[in-house]
Amino acid sequence: MRQFRNEFGLILAIIAVIAVTMFANPSYLQKPVDNAHEILRQTSLLGIFALGAAIVIISGGIDLSAGSVIAFSGSICAQTFYLLAPEGVRGIPDTGDLSLGVFAAGIGAALAVGFLIGTLHTWLITIVGLPPFVATLASLVGLRSLAKVLNQEITRSLGNQSTKLNVDDPAFIELGRTWWIPLVIFLVLGALAWLLMNRTVVGRHLYAMGGNEQAARLSGIRTDRLKWLAYCLGAMTAAIAGVLYTAEVGIADPVTQGRGYELNAIAASVVGGCSLQGGVGLIPGVMLGVLFLRVVIDSVAKVVGSGSDDYEGLIVGFLVVLAVTFNELRSMRELVQKSFFPGMLGWITVPTLAVLIGTVTLVMGGRNVGLSAGIAALGILGAVKIWEETRGK
Amino acid sequence: MPLISIRHITKRYPGVTALDDVSFDLLPGECHAVVGENGAGKSTLMKILSGVIPDYDGEIHIDGQAARFQGTRDAEAAGIGIIHQELNLVEQLSAAANIFLGREKHGRLGFLHEREMEDAAGKLLAQLECHVSPRAKVGTLRVGDQQLIEIAKALSLDAEVLIMDEPTSALTETEVARLYRVIGKLRERGVTIVYISHKLDEVFRLANRITILRDGRFVKTLDRAATNAGELTQLMVGREIASVDLGGERCAADEVLRMENLSLPWPGHARAWRLKNISFHLKRGEILGFAGLMGAGRTELLECLFGASADRPQGNILLEGRAVQFHTPAAAKQAGMALVTEDRKRLGLFARMNVGHNITMCSLPEATTTGILSRPRERQMAEGSVAQLGVKTAGIRAAITSLSGGNQQKAIIGRWLLARPKVLLLDDPTRGVDVGAKAELYQLIDRLCRDGLGVIVTSSELPELLTLCDRILVLCEGRLTGEFSRAEATEERIMHAATLRE
Repeated sequence: MRQFRNEFGLILAIIAVIAVTMFANPSYLQKPVDNAHEILRQTSLLGIFALGAAIVIISGGIDLSAGSVIAFSGSICAQTFYLLAPEGVRGIPDTGDLSLGVFAAGIGAALAVGFLIGTLHTWLITIVGLPPFVATLASLVGLRSLAKVLNQEITRSLGNQSTKLNVDDPAFIELGRTWWIPLVIFLVLGALAWLLMNRTVVGRHLYAMGGNEQAARLSGIRTDRLKWLAYCLGAMTAAIAGVLYTAEVGIADPVTQGRGYELNAIAASVVGGCSLQGGVGLIPGVMLGVLFLRVVIDSVAKVVGSGSDDYEGLIVGFLVVLAVTFNELRSMRELVQKSFFPGMLGWITVPTLAVLIGTVTLVMGGRNVGLSAGIAALGILGAVKIWEETRGK
Repeated sequence: MPLISIRHITKRYPGVTALDDVSFDLLPGECHAVVGENGAGKSTLMKILSGVIPDYDGEIHIDGQAARFQGTRDAEAAGIGIIHQELNLVEQLSAAANIFLGREKHGRLGFLHEREMEDAAGKLLAQLECHVSPRAKVGTLRVGDQQLIEIAKALSLDAEVLIMDEPTSALTETEVARLYRVIGKLRERGVTIVYISHKLDEVFRLANRITILRDGRFVKTLDRAATNAGELTQLMVGREIASVDLGGERCAADEVLRMENLSLPWPGHARAWRLKNISFHLKRGEILGFAGLMGAGRTELLECLFGASADRPQGNILLEGRAVQFHTPAAAKQAGMALVTEDRKRLGLFARMNVGHNITMCSLPEATTTGILSRPRERQMAEGSVAQLGVKTAGIRAAITSLSGGNQQKAIIGRWLLARPKVLLLDDPTRGVDVGAKAELYQLIDRLCRDGLGVIVTSSELPELLTLCDRILVLCEGRLTGEFSRAEATEERIMHAATLRE
């Protein structure tokens, strides 16, 4: 059972966070079904492309492009609808009632574009020789802008130039709004990913390549092909998510959609137990990591009572630091023995952390709470610093 | 009175004793050569002397006082500098910046005195006959000049003792001549030189005294005048290892592999060819050995045979009579080649995986039914392999890193045997393996060969090749310089061929 320690830990953490939220805010008890649906829908949307991100990370790479691939593929889907839909009033395509063929063509186009983006990444990495970070960073920056320009190009001929494309078809919108549709897709993809990674030769080879690429190549494993698969899965899962995010609001808006989501996916993978060095991580862990991330985000939103995603970035950043710190520490003994605030760096870090904690609690709980939390943090961390100083001598 | 006394130095790594109770003295102002075969412990000793390895048993006395270096800085402060075989320079920085790296001359506000450093570097380099601009980026310079920059760095530290680890291994003839002149000048200034080499002509040319190490032990310190190349060779190779009698002659069958005029280019290097015009053949049921000093091209040769070389080799490879070309290891494996790499940790093991997964890595498709891995089938394959090769492990689910070096090696050989190769390439298979496990590996390799496998093995230990091989080919600087049958081969003959330079 040792090998599933991380997964058990996540399950316990999820239960604990839900329990705490229940006491702090009546919403979970009053509307349990609605809340569960919303959390599951959000978890599934993030989870779909987190699975792809995790496979890339396990294989020893990194895919930073997911957020822009979401925006780009969503736009491609809507553009296909525009091009194929029957003409409505004033010459604008009528997307209010799409035929099944057009529907399928739009989703197919998004998936195909995902495949091509993944292929391009692989070419840049294996043939041109760019580091994965650079290759996918270029897509992150480039694709969003390309989607915007393409949308303008399409709408210009229709007389109302815009970076957004509206899709009115109710069936399409249902795709993103019905709570169980993303969930089913997420669970099916999760099961397929688990099968691929744990029960097939290709999966074992992906772990091997992530763990030791040179040894994998010298074992006769075709590493270039494996990378092709991994980056295509990364981009295609993002494309699926892109279609769903577009459906959710009925608008393909590359300016705002999916912004920063690539880091959420990477964070979920890391919280779920993947090592950024590659070769380590389990699919069930990643799925639980996504759920944990969303539960914490939802919990904070409920407790603080703010807009649902205001604290998202803060929480993701905090959890990633925490998860990686614990992954890096090999034992609890090391946690006790390690000096966290050595020398001058420590003297600056202690008050910085105290101010940070004070600020965060201040915006969440008001001035008095923030002030006392900040002072308490300064006292505790300062004591740790002084203890470390004296222990050193 | 000796400048430096090395007293009872012992250094153990898990499974191997790199140095065993080594003691000798360095006299002020002398040029002291330390010779020995690969693996004799020369480099380990020098790493201890220069503070690279801080944990060891024994003592070092400098000017009669015990010293213990925790890092290279300590050694530098004590006046000991080292020129590593693999140079230690920052290629993106200028010559001057490298010479003063970590000790930059600067003003009160931290601004660098570039001009001052460049002038000082220029002077140092001029003394060393190195005519490059102090502003030149080190990465753009030739290896010989880079080496002189390292020497200039040591001089700027006022090193009293300069250790040179195989300094001529990558130099052209004119660069070697210049290095000799530089060493002469350094000695005039009273610098003590410790010169590590296995090239006897260099040693006789430069050294006053010669210390021989063998299998991590001190053998003898000799005056140059009182010895000759023959005696040195004998002292270097005349070691005893746990010998194994592998029984009678093996009977080699039909030819399985033939190599015609293999050449491997070496772009940007003075020698131009890593390997040049190498031809040989291998029969089924035969063990063919490749001997050679470090850098002779043994590993490169095996890499060419496995499609793993960085540059495309020239020449023909015939496998079972058919011409083949391997552009990737995957293609070589498909054709029936198998390579057990020299650097097990970096190029062989999957450290995050368990023993079973490491063993089945190359033959997973056989463990699948309709594309899905069958756990029982995979377990059966791994356990069969563990039993066949006698891998000592707590089970196939144990971490591969929990095994000893010899058992890790068996697991990797097992990995390749499951792929049913026609030719097994073993690159220094007993490196980092203790004596007992070595004997077991010899017996294993012998058995595989008798079962009809063609085996090519390289080794840095001659007795190993003499024990294992039916024929031994000798490489020197990328050329084939000798071929001996089992009956003809002796350590002296092989060593002679291995040092036959052009």
